[in-house]
Amino acid sequence: MKRIHFILIFGFITLLFSSCTKEVKIDIPGYEEQLVIDGNIETGMPPIVLISLSRDIYAPTNLDAYLSGFISGAIVTVSNGTKTVQLTEICTDNLPPGSEAMAAAVFGLPVEELALLHICAYTSFDTDIWGEVGKTYTLNVSLEGKTYTSSTSILKPTAMDTLYWKPDANFNDRGYSWATLSDPTNQYDAYRWESKPISDPIFYKPFQPFTDDQFFNGKTFDFAYENSSNCNGTYQPEEYRCYYKLGDTIVVKVSKLPRDVFEYMEKKYTQMYSAGNPFATPINLPTNIVGGALGIWAGYSPWYDTLICIP
Amino acid sequence: MKYFLLFTILFLHSTVSFAQQNQTISGYITDGRSGEAMIGAKVFIPSISKGAVTNTYGFYSLTVPAGIYLIEFRAQGLDTEIKEINLTNDVKLDVELGTSLQELQEVQVNAKKGENVNSTKIGQIELQMDQIKTLPAFMGEVDIIKTIQLLPGVSSVSEGGQGFYVRGGGPDQNLVLLDEGVVYNAAHLFGFFSVFNADAVKSVNLIKGGMPANYGGRMSSVLEVNMNEGNMKKFKVKGGIGVISSRLTIEGPLKKDRGSFIISGRRTYIDLLMKAFIPDTSPFNGSGYYFYDVNVKLNYKLGDKDRIFLSGYYGKDMFTYKSKDDNFNVQMPWGNGIAALRWNHLFTNKLFMNVTGTFSDYMFAFKSSQDQFNFELRSGVRDVGGKVDFSWFPNSRHRVKWGLDYIYHTFTPTSVSAESEDVVFDTGEIQRLFSHENAAYFMDEFDVNENIKINAGLRYSTYEFVGPFTRYIKGDISKPDTAIKYPSGDLIKFYQGLEPRFSLRWLLPDKSSIKAGYSYNYQYVHLTSLSAVSLPTDIWYPTTDLAKPQKGWQASAGYFRNFLNDHYETSVEVYYKGMQNLIEFKEGALPGDNVADNTDNLLVYGQGWSYGIEFFIKRTYGKLTGWIGYTWAKTERKFPDLNNGKVYPAKYDRRHDLSVVANYKMNDRITFGACFIYATGNTLTLPSSWYVQEQNLLFNYGARNSTRMVPYHRLDLSVTIYDKAYKTRQNPDTGESIQVKKKFRSNCAISIYNAYNRANPFFLYVDNDGDFLSGNFKLSVKQVTLFPIIPSFNWNFEF
Repeated sequence: MKRIHFILIFGFITLLFSSCTKEVKIDIPGYEEQLVIDGNIETGMPPIVLISLSRDIYAPTNLDAYLSGFISGAIVTVSNGTKTVQLTEICTDNLPPGSEAMAAAVFGLPVEELALLHICAYTSFDTDIWGEVGKTYTLNVSLEGKTYTSSTSILKPTAMDTLYWKPDANFNDRGYSWATLSDPTNQYDAYRWESKPISDPIFYKPFQPFTDDQFFNGKTFDFAYENSSNCNGTYQPEEYRCYYKLGDTIVVKVSKLPRDVFEYMEKKYTQMYSAGNPFATPINLPTNIVGGALGIWAGYSPWYDTLICIP
Repeated sequence: MKYFLLFTILFLHSTVSFAQQNQTISGYITDGRSGEAMIGAKVFIPSISKGAVTNTYGFYSLTVPAGIYLIEFRAQGLDTEIKEINLTNDVKLDVELGTSLQELQEVQVNAKKGENVNSTKIGQIELQMDQIKTLPAFMGEVDIIKTIQLLPGVSSVSEGGQGFYVRGGGPDQNLVLLDEGVVYNAAHLFGFFSVFNADAVKSVNLIKGGMPANYGGRMSSVLEVNMNEGNMKKFKVKGGIGVISSRLTIEGPLKKDRGSFIISGRRTYIDLLMKAFIPDTSPFNGSGYYFYDVNVKLNYKLGDKDRIFLSGYYGKDMFTYKSKDDNFNVQMPWGNGIAALRWNHLFTNKLFMNVTGTFSDYMFAFKSSQDQFNFELRSGVRDVGGKVDFSWFPNSRHRVKWGLDYIYHTFTPTSVSAESEDVVFDTGEIQRLFSHENAAYFMDEFDVNENIKINAGLRYSTYEFVGPFTRYIKGDISKPDTAIKYPSGDLIKFYQGLEPRFSLRWLLPDKSSIKAGYSYNYQYVHLTSLSAVSLPTDIWYPTTDLAKPQKGWQASAGYFRNFLNDHYETSVEVYYKGMQNLIEFKEGALPGDNVADNTDNLLVYGQGWSYGIEFFIKRTYGKLTGWIGYTWAKTERKFPDLNNGKVYPAKYDRRHDLSVVANYKMNDRITFGACFIYATGNTLTLPSSWYVQEQNLLFNYGARNSTRMVPYHRLDLSVTIYDKAYKTRQNPDTGESIQVKKKFRSNCAISIYNAYNRANPFFLYVDNDGDFLSGNFKLSVKQVTLFPIIPSFNWNFEF
């Protein structure tokens, strides 16, 4: 259905020989400032929580506005059922040694720029509260007298049967990464796909990184994913974008996630790709945070493997 | 059924007893040029002020005291015929009305003269095809539905859209009938063109309030489109060549004055034009769009009392998209197939019967393939039905109708299949939903006295939702999903309801009247839409055990007055409409498969209401004809599960709607047309705030439909230039010059859409550009305008 809407947009664009777009200033009522909690925890990693505020649609959107949107001073705790830990607020201009790469991934910034900015997140160096398969983690955020809570689980990961690479029909030396998945029967499964060149510090998400097993519950099948690390850049000739090159070595990360996290992510990507589309229904994302905040508290259980791109 | 037959026999008996005191004149009125039945032609006896109007099949029956009368027979655009009849016995009189040589002069007989004041019809408008054809046409395509949208109380879905809203009802609440076959999707090209080929259409009647009891199944309106029957006298060909499409119609007698046929088709050539601009090497070569449709109708008089009609329509849209770069192919066909077989039988000169069998099929499909992955989605609805209608004219004071109606529905809301090489994905069972819809009705239009006329009717409808069906009951985290399987034919849910209908006309002195109407309707089908605009992807869904039937009532009242010898017709109508069991998708619902789920699990239910006042002034006579319609209206919805349970405006809530339509016939050869529209902007839901999560910009939407677009206004202009109707020849015997009517006639229609190039909003969206970290990020609200000034040209011909 989402794809149909995408095609319909194309139809309009190609069929209507003239249409024009202009910027307008129009009253959009209903703005209400809300807290945004963006937290995640995955196997072997500490919980990381970013807290910010939603902004009016006509609010300033420059870098200062973005940076000033993050909230300091909240009391954030995470509990695994047996132990509760208060997270520490760390900021990009005062990072503990060795945490730069992880912070770069969290904030989406190059390591060298981190020290120049002041963005704070909440995390813990207490490994007792780091992610473990099979555990449920409860998040509690207290700020200005209000409390927000949520819980998420780290599920048992599912390994791919095989990872392989094959050249695309149009090339001899370029192709997508392929995998064979045997989806567990009689249970709900949701997956996130990420990959990176082996030398790269961060993982990249493809166009549609999330799927659940609604269509393939219990089945074994092959599927392909593009090389999302070079889809957007201009350093590759256009015809080579989104392909892996013969001989590339990549790391694949496939994570399992709970149903409520998948539902949030599915609608998030639908919203991202349908923004501005007259055929799309307005979608507010179904948060799993109780207390009136936006955002998500997400648990992931990744499975990793390395793929050398040779047939 | 046996009670129904008894009822019929009783009426037949009473006909005989009435006939002992009065005499009946009855028959058919036809167009003398083609033999086509004249709908709505008037039979009138001025000396006793009694009259009758022909029905859809051209039949009339008038019972009056015996005597000698001068009787007028009048039909729109044809000469009036006056016959002196000595009514000592029942008389059957078929009348062919012709035209004099002045047929193209501006002075034409107005058959409907005074009818808007005299009839009990409230909220009903008939449109003349001749007038529709001379109005400005978008891209040259004469369009019935766009003309309907110019009437007060009727608004369009969006710029150029075919969907229409009548007095605050949704687009699914309009019963669109083509020769009594239901049209589920009346649009081509994503809604920009109507499925009705104007060359094949004979008459258009819109009922937006005071719906008579013989119509049902929809809450808001009836749009009744009747196809031409074909020329019974001679073969004729007509057609047209336009900017984006061409059309051709052939009609003629099957047997002179006994039967005729008409076949009419058209096709767009957008795909062929695109092909010229997309080189073979382009990655998009093979992408394109076209639509075509064909109308066919046969009719034959089996005798004086029997006649059969076979009508058919088939139309298809096909959108294809090919991208060689990523080996991605899409085909998206959709369309309607409609057939109706009708049998007219005259039991007596007072009792007319029509039996109809109908078939209607609407389907939408989406097929895509990429590499080894194939995906297909289908949805549709198929109706097979039958109805029998009786019209009885016992005397000049009563016009009685009764009948039965049955439809067997088969709905396929969504059927999804997907495969990758040899792996077939589990997309759930193909869910087809079956139901029986039945109705019986009785209505009587009767004259209480000279001034008060009442049309009272009662419709009783039932609905059976039957198996096979699997009901999935969605559990929450602590409770697993469960399923109940119903075998074929099992009655799953039964609904029934009485639908009273009433309208009244109170004739006042000085050619004015007050009218009032009330109708209560059940609607057993729903249209579910995810989009802000109507699309073929909208899903028709039946009433089920979960989805209740829509229910609505409407009360309306109006003052009607004609001026200057009926040259000006005016009216003011007020209405209030209440609607229950309206449906919408849940917030954030994304339907797409049938895996352990039913579409109605994703729906929420609510109520709506609308009210308004409509002003209408129409000039029907002279060189300048046309109308001005203005509507003030308010339309709201309330769903407990949407918008936090608060009342919100419907997306087509428009406070002001003004249409000005004018035709100016300068002379026999040149006619000008103009339309001006002003409407309050549509509402929509835009994000009221933004936030960032995992470095992605996300939006949070405010109250539903809380943003209103700027007002819409537009002026369209047209000119139609006809060739000379006559040529000069010399009489070989006398040498005198004589005027001979040309066999080949043609005209050129030039239209300008959006003459002053107004940038009207089609929709608004929030656009984001740049990124935060480079400091050039920007959010802005953008308005998309579809159509600037668009000139178009059509050449039409007939011989």
